[in-house]
Amino acid sequence: MKLRKNLFMLPYLFWLLLFVILPLILIVVQSLIGTDGQLTLANFVSFFTSGTYLSMTVNSFIYALIVTVITLVISYPVAYILTKLKHSQFFLLLIILPTWINVLLKAYAFIGLFSQSGWINQFLGIFGIGPTQLLFTDFAFIFVASYIEIPFMILPIFNSLKTINGEYIHAANDLGATRFQTFTKVIWPLSLDGVKSGIQSIFIPTLSLFMITRLIGGNRVITLGTAIEQHFLTTMNWGMGSTIGVILMIIMIASMKLTNGSK
Amino acid sequence: MKKKSKFELIYLTLVMIVLYFPIFYLIYFSFSSGDSMSYFESFTFDHYQALLNDPRLIRIVLDTILLALLASLFATMIGTLGALYIHQVKKKSVRNSLLSLNNILLVSPDVIIGASFLILFTFAGFSLGFYSVLLSHIAFCVPIVVLMILPKLKEINPTLIDAAYDLGASKYKVLSAIILPLITPGILSGFFMALTYSLDDFAVTFFLTGQGFTTLSVEIFSRARRGISLEINALSTLMFLFSLLLVIGYYFLSRYNQNRKINNQKKKVTK
Amino acid sequence: MATIIEMKNVSKRYDDGFEALTNLNLKIESGKFYSILGPSGSGKTTVLRIIAGFSDITSGALYFDNQNITDMPANQRKVNTVFQDYALFPHLNVFDNIAFGLKLKKRPKEEIKEKVANALEKVRLPQHSDREISELSGGQKQRIAIARAIVNEPKVLLLDESLSALDKKLRKDMQYQLRRLQKDLGITFVFVTHDQEEALALSDEIFIMNEGKIIQNGTATDIYDEPVNRFVAEFIGESNIVDGVMKVDYSVEFVGKTFECADAGMQQNEPVHVVLRPEDLDITLVDEGKLTVTIVSQMFLGNHFEVNAVDEDGNQWLIHATNSVSVGQKVGVYFDPEDIHVMRIGESQVDFHNRIEEYGE
Repeated sequence: MKLRKNLFMLPYLFWLLLFVILPLILIVVQSLIGTDGQLTLANFVSFFTSGTYLSMTVNSFIYALIVTVITLVISYPVAYILTKLKHSQFFLLLIILPTWINVLLKAYAFIGLFSQSGWINQFLGIFGIGPTQLLFTDFAFIFVASYIEIPFMILPIFNSLKTINGEYIHAANDLGATRFQTFTKVIWPLSLDGVKSGIQSIFIPTLSLFMITRLIGGNRVITLGTAIEQHFLTTMNWGMGSTIGVILMIIMIASMKLTNGSK
Repeated sequence: MKKKSKFELIYLTLVMIVLYFPIFYLIYFSFSSGDSMSYFESFTFDHYQALLNDPRLIRIVLDTILLALLASLFATMIGTLGALYIHQVKKKSVRNSLLSLNNILLVSPDVIIGASFLILFTFAGFSLGFYSVLLSHIAFCVPIVVLMILPKLKEINPTLIDAAYDLGASKYKVLSAIILPLITPGILSGFFMALTYSLDDFAVTFFLTGQGFTTLSVEIFSRARRGISLEINALSTLMFLFSLLLVIGYYFLSRYNQNRKINNQKKKVTK
Repeated sequence: MATIIEMKNVSKRYDDGFEALTNLNLKIESGKFYSILGPSGSGKTTVLRIIAGFSDITSGALYFDNQNITDMPANQRKVNTVFQDYALFPHLNVFDNIAFGLKLKKRPKEEIKEKVANALEKVRLPQHSDREISELSGGQKQRIAIARAIVNEPKVLLLDESLSALDKKLRKDMQYQLRRLQKDLGITFVFVTHDQEEALALSDEIFIMNEGKIIQNGTATDIYDEPVNRFVAEFIGESNIVDGVMKVDYSVEFVGKTFECADAGMQQNEPVHVVLRPEDLDITLVDEGKLTVTIVSQMFLGNHFEVNAVDEDGNQWLIHATNSVSVGQKVGVYFDPEDIHVMRIGESQVDFHNRIEEYGE
């Protein structure tokens, strides 16, 4: 009987070993291999001493932070308004629907919209501003990244807002809280879990985005993701690519600990 | 709480417009006879025709669908076994560490998955192509399947299992006659999620396609890098309609289920 | 009658160290209706789960038809269970639920149909074969759960708190039907409950459990009339329990007076508990009573009045009276010597029986 138990779990354990644990080990080992093929900490040393790597990391961080803040500011009110609607599930579906469109197609749409003769520049032209370089700018990258991530922020916030018992709000009103106080003292704290998981599902992916940076940001905006892709697929320096990958994972774990730990 | 102000509705409408604007922009220009997304020239189905006459693109679409179906099928099988395994682990600490390991591929950035799998396949001497992409898609679809099934397993009342044994069922029968039918909704939604994950993936595939094999996402990326081609617009219209159909179907299915539940409750009350 | 189930020195300790059963012995004969009665946490459900095979035992042995089945898995035992929450399979309809066991045994289709119809007839739901489980009421679910168990023709049917989820009226009805069903089928029912009224009404024999041990077993009247200790007396029915001292045989002192009684075999001046059932106390004139009490309150309960009274020493008395009294009135309370039940403190059921046998009653 013991043996039979083992047999049925075998494919899953095999998967865990081969596709979760082994790749993790391999990328860590790879990050410790220098250009000469020897075990070394050189990659980490050059990462932390090189101005370009460090400033790229800081930039990548700042972009991810800006995108996260923008999506949060836009999404929270949307989620809040949605909970009040009669057919909230239907409107939620409308919000989620665009996420089913391939991200690359959406990015592609912005190539058209932001182009020199695109609709945005045509619109700006009405006010005599005109045609400016929008594509391949920081603005374009932040705009498109936020655009793509908004539904992923609305969804968890909506879900946490919806679980708030309506009686709590009545109770707060009954106890004399103003609408503003009800929000800051009751609604916001109770929806914090949704906000946290929203932040988690946006911050790290934004750090590691690379197709949007390539399509919209040009090669000017370099995120950690672009750097990894470049090292692996263009310059073929896997050691350095893995080093950046390991650092990205450390940042990821730290930011998850941070958002989870403050509960 | 239930009061809606005009301002709120305007805001919501605005966000909706922004969300849908790029999509409809793409669709709009798919009918334009020009070759840019700046000025609409005249109405035409030319780009759709070109799409249908592009055997390479059609092959890529079919490959992508085949890849997604195969990947989600295998991922669903492995994930179902995994969920059953994790569910029966009694020790909480072991269970939690299994769950953490399970979720690694869910929370890891695509780039890391792509890069580490590239190292893995190279290390193993596995040549890049359809099979490396298939294996990697199976790999990153497994954890979501596990996560969709586990809650369904938790929902099963343990006395149902006792009852089945009590009535003479063997271990295998308990699994096939009680547990599997009860977690079928979870298995289906796991399969469905895996399908979307696979269809949507760009980054991991991009790392692992090598020469010769490509998926729709990678193809769109390389075409978009080359500039605007309204054939892509036509393609996105079709993909949008496809997702719309799925969403509408899903919406009515869930509404139908809810109504049935309500009707059942009504029946009970009137009895 | 033949013993069908026997538990010998069974102990059950859980992984966390909690001892659910301690050295338990019990014998169940075929064809009778048994109740295992006890408060929650007393181990009564554990006994049931051990008989069904859902729990293993730490030490001891379990016999079924004189065969040791301690290590036999649940799916091979000839007992079936009716679960507290019914445990009907939600994805199968009524027919498929009842047919589940028969299908596993690969019985021919015709036979399955006939037996399911028969079982539905027995629980008086013949028209419900095609219903979904979600369409059933609580009482109907209960009966389908019974049908699903009896269709397999077990020698013993285990019922785990089976009526506790039903409302009072439905419960009465189901109690009646259970009793009828047990008579019809002629098999052993083992019914676990915490409801003493239910146990008294249904059972041929009752096991009273507390803290993993069987405190007393016997027929309903035995237990009601002769509770072995304060726990049983308080658990079964309502009672007035006061401290007393056994002066000599057939003479007991409580509330400062000495009364003639029917108990004997104890030491002189041994401290004891004295039980007087409320329905054995009669209200009478002050000078005809053995005690004088003042009425504190009364409540009409349909077939009698429940009267609360207090005597001159401040002891409270619960009396079931047929006629109304007025609050504040002084009345006498009369009882016969046989109505006084004296319990030795800490006496086990075995010692109790030995003493009764020695001195007779």
